[in-house]
Amino acid sequence: MQIAIRHRLSLAIGTGIARAVQHLLLTPRTGPTQTVREWSIDMPGFEAAASFVDAFGNRAHLVSQTRPEAELTIAVAGIVDTIDRNGVIGRLPGDIPPALYRRPTALTKPVGAITGRFRTVPKDGQDRIALLHALMARVSEVVGNGEQGQEQDGQGQAKAARPPAADFAHAFIGAARALEIPARYVTGYVLADDGPATFHAWAEAWDDGLGWIGFDPGLAVCPTDRHVRVAVGLDAVSTIPVRSVPVVGEPLVLAMSVEAAQ
Amino acid sequence: MSATPFDEMHNADGSIRDPYLILEEWLKDQPPQALGLMSADAESLFRRLGITFAVYGSNEGTEKLIPFDIIPRIISALEWRRLSKGIEQRVRALNAFLYDIYHRQEILKAGRVPEKLILNNSAFCPEMMGLDPARGVYSHIIGVDIVRTGPDDFYVLEDNLRTPSGVSYMLENREAMLQLAPELFQRYKVAPVETYPETLRRTMESVAPGGIHGAPNLVVLTPGIYNSAYFEHSFLADQMGAMLCEGQDLFVEGGKVFMRTTTGPERVDVIYRRIDDDFLDPLTFRPDSMLGVPGLFDAYRAGNVTLVNAPGTGIADDKAVYVYVPEIIEFYLGEKALLKNVPTYNCTNADERAYVLEHLEELVVKEVHGSGGYGMLVGPASTKAQREEFRKKILARPDNYIVQPTLALSTCPTFVDRGIAPRHVDLRPYVLVGDDVRITPGGLTRVALKKGSLVVNSSQGGGTKDTWVLED
Repeated sequence: MQIAIRHRLSLAIGTGIARAVQHLLLTPRTGPTQTVREWSIDMPGFEAAASFVDAFGNRAHLVSQTRPEAELTIAVAGIVDTIDRNGVIGRLPGDIPPALYRRPTALTKPVGAITGRFRTVPKDGQDRIALLHALMARVSEVVGNGEQGQEQDGQGQAKAARPPAADFAHAFIGAARALEIPARYVTGYVLADDGPATFHAWAEAWDDGLGWIGFDPGLAVCPTDRHVRVAVGLDAVSTIPVRSVPVVGEPLVLAMSVEAAQ
Repeated sequence: MSATPFDEMHNADGSIRDPYLILEEWLKDQPPQALGLMSADAESLFRRLGITFAVYGSNEGTEKLIPFDIIPRIISALEWRRLSKGIEQRVRALNAFLYDIYHRQEILKAGRVPEKLILNNSAFCPEMMGLDPARGVYSHIIGVDIVRTGPDDFYVLEDNLRTPSGVSYMLENREAMLQLAPELFQRYKVAPVETYPETLRRTMESVAPGGIHGAPNLVVLTPGIYNSAYFEHSFLADQMGAMLCEGQDLFVEGGKVFMRTTTGPERVDVIYRRIDDDFLDPLTFRPDSMLGVPGLFDAYRAGNVTLVNAPGTGIADDKAVYVYVPEIIEFYLGEKALLKNVPTYNCTNADERAYVLEHLEELVVKEVHGSGGYGMLVGPASTKAQREEFRKKILARPDNYIVQPTLALSTCPTFVDRGIAPRHVDLRPYVLVGDDVRITPGGLTRVALKKGSLVVNSSQGGGTKDTWVLED
């Protein structure tokens, strides 16, 4: 499938700032499930940006501005061809050792309600894929029902709003790592069946036979040709699409469209 | 390890060991008051130079002078050759280890070092994965803490591969001795340490990023005047002719690092940073850091600047990794370790923990991530209450402590209130790694001034001595 992406972000820098710098993880790379046909980032200072590959194999940019405007607009646009491989990414050249993705982080603490029932389930060889699917279903259920954090509003009622994709991905990763299975956080775009296009997050888990396999517990599916991978990392912090100093706030999405290009 | 400490000046029969023969004569020739006067001269000299340090956690919060002992420690050429060979072996292996664990991790795959110990360690820096530092060197400036227990027995206590301090004392101690006892330098052929700043400069230049025209621009990056080692930062910058900068003096533009100067921005190529990893760059590490330079790590990653030392070197001097250093040397160099490790008890092992808790009175307990003698229990010098406190701590977090036997540290003659008496010493030689491995002959000798004390840290009442390595 050919997917066209347009993504406009606004970043508040503040007034009277002498210099601002941003670390961007907004550039997808061509891989087994996708071929990047066109990609562009338009923002002040981008022509002089340093472009490099980060520790997790992502294409990163370091952008800076002297005396920036109070608001910075970042316009991302591109066309990506995708194929459905049932979520299987496999092994990528230059990938860091999978064992690194067993490292616990503050955002990927395992949740007992999820991991508990998997502790004694066989997890090696043929059994791993089945386990990971069951784990995705369980995460989808527990996080989707808001069971894991027991967040409540003022009246003691459980919140009704659906949790963000990051919560699902973190819960899945935390559980997988607690079971000694390497798992990583993935950011990217997803072309929705209906509803708004989103900058999305999901997970990938390691299988010794197949390599990396995608699991999207937020949508309760393995990634398909509607997913475009942008960056991978330990968790949401190591894959933030736009990190900025000075930090004034999260970038605001001004406009986003992810659509089939035909 | 013997029960009676090794005396570096005297043989067991009371005769003088060779390196000390001339010194012994000289000491005998000194009139009664001379050493006291010389000691007072030394103190006023150091006050004039302004060498002080701040003690963390002290109520006074004042600047203190580290006591300087006027009697030099002397090491023979042969002893030094052996020692420096062992040090060189160690730093080569540890740099190879750093390269490996930030690339293919062969040593973990081979099961020679436990994977979890490295990958789940807070000193391991995932952001460093796959980065290729110039010449493959991660730790360029190293201070190896060594103790001696016999004529040929040297133990490594700690490998400091992050930002070891104290080298300015080594240089100033020599400067002071040259002024106080010039005649001794006529009678002894002492290897120079004065070349250190120049060697540091050469080392830094040798790891500059590629594509630079002319001499690379070097700077020393300090957290600022409130840091306990600020004196050293400014001293080293001055001695090697580099600019001393704080984070706010540097900025990143177009992926490159620049320094603000009165004549406009100047490109920076190599940074000797004395700021901890966490504070280096708010864009990549702690976002609340006011000390660092936003974008610095990305500029480093893009190959536009060299950081000396690299971030993430702390994994190689982690106290829990320390026990594996002999293994690490064998794995990368195919050689047996020349210098010994202190035997270390692992408190996560039930048998070893039981032994440790039974024998706290004889043992030294160190926090895995502690330094500078803080968070440490020295069994023989401890009170019952302190031991009880550590018993609880070890039981609560066995993986947070390593435990070692109390070593009988060697002694050197030291000038104290009642004349000359033996006091326990350690040694921190300084190593520079760039296009070559260069070890400054000697290093910083720290001396426990209290009789019988084994704690040499300056924050805990230790002093320093000039360290002489004799030339053939």
